[in-house]
Amino acid sequence: MYIQSILKQVLIIFLSLKAANQALKRSRASPYDKGSRSIRATLGYFLHTLNLRLRLREIMPDTKTNPAGVVGKGVARLDAEDKVRGRSGYVDDLEIPGCWIGHLVRSLVPHGRLRGLKRDPYFDWSRVVVATPKDIPGINVVVMHDRSMPLLAFDEVRYLGEPLALVAAPTARLASEAAASITPEIDALTPILTLNELVSLFKSEDPRLFRLSSQTIVKGDVEKGLSEADHVVEGEYTAGHQEQLYLEPQGMVALPEANGGVFIQGSLQCPYYVVQELHEALNLPPGKIRVKQAAVGGAFGGKEDFPTLLGGYCALLALKSGRPVKIVFDRNQDIRYTTKRHPAWVRHRTGLKKDGTITAMRVDYLLDGGAYLTLSDVVMYRGMLHAAMGYRCENIFVNGLVARTNTFPSGAFRGFGAPQAIWGLESHIDKLAQACGMEPHEFRLKNGLRLGDTTPTGQVLEEMGAVRVLDEALKKSGFDGKIRRCSHGRRGEKKWYGIGVSFFAHGSGFTGDGESRIGTKAALDLDFGLDAKPLVSVRVSSTEIGQGSATALSQIAADELSVGIESVGCPYPDTALVPNSGPTVASRTTMIVGATVHGAAVKMKKALEEYASDTFFKGQSAVLKGGFFRCGSKTFSFQEVAGDYLKQEGPLHIVHQFTLPPTIKWDQKTFRGDAYPGYSWGCNVAEVEVDPVTLEIHLKRVTSCYDIGRVINPLLAKGQIEGGLTQAAGYALMEKIGIKGGRFDADRLQTYIIPTALDIPEYEIHFIEFPYEHAAPGAKGVGEIPMDGLAPATANAVYQATGLRMTDLPITPEKLYERLNEKR
Amino acid sequence: MRNVKRTWNVNGERRTAEFPPMRRLLDVLRNDLGLKGSKEGCGEGECGACTIILNGDPVVSCLIPAGQIADGSEIITVEGLEKTDSGRILQQAYIEKGAVQCGFCIPGMIVSSYSLLSKNSNPSNREIREAHAGNLCRCTGYENIVKAVRRAAEQWPAGKRVTSA
Repeated sequence: MYIQSILKQVLIIFLSLKAANQALKRSRASPYDKGSRSIRATLGYFLHTLNLRLRLREIMPDTKTNPAGVVGKGVARLDAEDKVRGRSGYVDDLEIPGCWIGHLVRSLVPHGRLRGLKRDPYFDWSRVVVATPKDIPGINVVVMHDRSMPLLAFDEVRYLGEPLALVAAPTARLASEAAASITPEIDALTPILTLNELVSLFKSEDPRLFRLSSQTIVKGDVEKGLSEADHVVEGEYTAGHQEQLYLEPQGMVALPEANGGVFIQGSLQCPYYVVQELHEALNLPPGKIRVKQAAVGGAFGGKEDFPTLLGGYCALLALKSGRPVKIVFDRNQDIRYTTKRHPAWVRHRTGLKKDGTITAMRVDYLLDGGAYLTLSDVVMYRGMLHAAMGYRCENIFVNGLVARTNTFPSGAFRGFGAPQAIWGLESHIDKLAQACGMEPHEFRLKNGLRLGDTTPTGQVLEEMGAVRVLDEALKKSGFDGKIRRCSHGRRGEKKWYGIGVSFFAHGSGFTGDGESRIGTKAALDLDFGLDAKPLVSVRVSSTEIGQGSATALSQIAADELSVGIESVGCPYPDTALVPNSGPTVASRTTMIVGATVHGAAVKMKKALEEYASDTFFKGQSAVLKGGFFRCGSKTFSFQEVAGDYLKQEGPLHIVHQFTLPPTIKWDQKTFRGDAYPGYSWGCNVAEVEVDPVTLEIHLKRVTSCYDIGRVINPLLAKGQIEGGLTQAAGYALMEKIGIKGGRFDADRLQTYIIPTALDIPEYEIHFIEFPYEHAAPGAKGVGEIPMDGLAPATANAVYQATGLRMTDLPITPEKLYERLNEKR
Repeated sequence: MRNVKRTWNVNGERRTAEFPPMRRLLDVLRNDLGLKGSKEGCGEGECGACTIILNGDPVVSCLIPAGQIADGSEIITVEGLEKTDSGRILQQAYIEKGAVQCGFCIPGMIVSSYSLLSKNSNPSNREIREAHAGNLCRCTGYENIVKAVRRAAEQWPAGKRVTSA
């Protein structure tokens, strides 16, 4: 045993040396990577590889000797069977006896002062229940990141559609008639409606620009860097709203409870948010607001913040009427009156040396936050942190700002500010390459961050995946050859061909040390299941919204306890039954909650091993491995020991709390330090064909490579990537929604167009696995990164195909046509 | 308008319902017959989550006034698939290939797959994509759905096989 272990260590050192040697060769092979930096990076790489390999042995379960090991396997989703049989209970499928239907009375102007609500005297008001701000038991406020947003507007009305009063009735039709019989009387004020208006106000330093939040990131001296440059390259990039378009519209139901509290169930991502954000308005202690998830038909961030509002409306009506009240939006209401991705304007000013070295990056990052702050400050932070990320540069200044318009508050959507930032950055990088006569991929390979480099906030990069994913995607796509064959809008070609690349990171989990501060908890219970066999239940507040978290978290528990996946379950969270594992956001669930579940499983394993030693092995220490407790040649199955434990001791209940390593330091005031506990990395290569006559853009092929740490379930992870890339393809090329008079102009599925099965490109997806070292089992974020890079990669490909640099998303044939005519 | 009474063969069972003639077929299925599997994603025939098979053809049930559907019509909804071998093969393929994420589009999507394979058990990739172009999915990017249909086609019980060009 001892010799074996020494041999293993030698092998590890040998492999690390080999990897470092390869890295050295690579850096020599690259004409741009010379001098002391590459030697330092190589040494760092060696030490890191060695350290990582040694550490991995401690934290990684050895799947080879663990036949029951399910981490890393493409296990089918636990909820798939119910879903293919049509048996999952989404909120509108729930049978709730005596349930009334709620409806909203909304502002019909985008900005104004409310004088009053006029009720039609001829309507029979005895058949319905009406709630106005006077009926709010507590303070008329929804406590998100500030206290500015009321549950129902009562004085200043700040967006078209803002709720002013609520109605409940036994039928949907009566509720809608009643709502239409209440007329808001509003003195209209001048609104600010669009991102373009904000940009003009910003550029002219107009005091009418209302700053909801602002922040800067400073590294080195950007002015000095610009003065040392041979070229200064500028660029402005904009992107409009994007609708999440989960297939299941928003819906919630509230039931009054006998204790004076309220039970809220529905389509949501963050059960504890609803409790925390509503208890002041409902004037209930948090314990009297019980929130449970129903099956969720997609969310993508759209069900992070908004369900609090809908839950609040239902709860208020339920408390006033004493009956269950449900509100389920139709698609038209859902598109008009729920959150979208923030429209964004990004301006870059970059200093370059002739050889392509970046001397300075100055970035302005402006978001349209809509009418209230809600969670826009944090969206802005994430955007800023990604706005100059991924490249070596010592002088960086990022100026972030989120400003108010009189539109529906912008909210969370997969990527949370990063896709807009990366859209700007990765489009601009192509311009930089061109300015110094380099190909787009050469410029990225030269300047891409490597191990030991520092990020814009001064964080020393520990990720090995960084430039490796770029290298890999370029190779797999044959980029080097294909970039020479691009059309550049040449006359006489039947189709214009273009290829483009983007390279990007996505911070996993909350910013800085946020993951330690919120005190993420997970529970594991061992009890008899319905089939009278021992069953392990994962109890977390993370919601299964289609991404597969229930399956991935169950796999992590099953793997550590070396049982089959069928012995583990992960029921929908109910705040009465689960600890607070934080919200289901920020690509944090598999990585952070997964690590917390892993911690709980380690404790459960230890407790059962101790019990087995005492009860089955006469005090000799037993080890749980491969589904059996072992000591010498004697074995007892997990089921035997667990069953006996349950009979003798009763259910086993374990809680574990997550902590980050203390080395992670972050200053929220100066934005210096370790901005994220880890980064996932990605590279997208897009190939397009543009029809020279119709200017139709056909995204043909996307080759992508990702480092998402350890891949817990390759089937689910690929599903996340394919789905996210498809949303990003829609963002790049077709999803267009504007504001006309304060109203969204594409408010139906006939006008808001998303990709169908006929619109999607061929996908080639590769993973490079470098397990995250600070939290077993080593996953990093996967949920959001697929959304980040495809829009700029597509724009860069469109540039190579047509010779036109498109700077406004989505890139439509109409916009190409306009640009082409300007050029001619 | 007076209620009408209709008797259809729904998922192999005789079912009778009485309703106002303009009530949408989707609402009759969900609320009068208690078949909550079919979903409403848009209410205007764009998303396909309410797709069912009516007398052999896939249709969006949110756009059909139920009174128009004659007595004796054959209706298959997502709940009916598990009653046939081929339906179970299809369900299994969806599960194994990771075709399901949030699941809200699935009742309509899998019914479209069933309808396609019932008519053409050896479809090309293009034919599969075309047959599902009326079913929107926001989660999967359709790749695994196409794979699932192909997998089910391989195991589809012998019957009418149409070789695609």
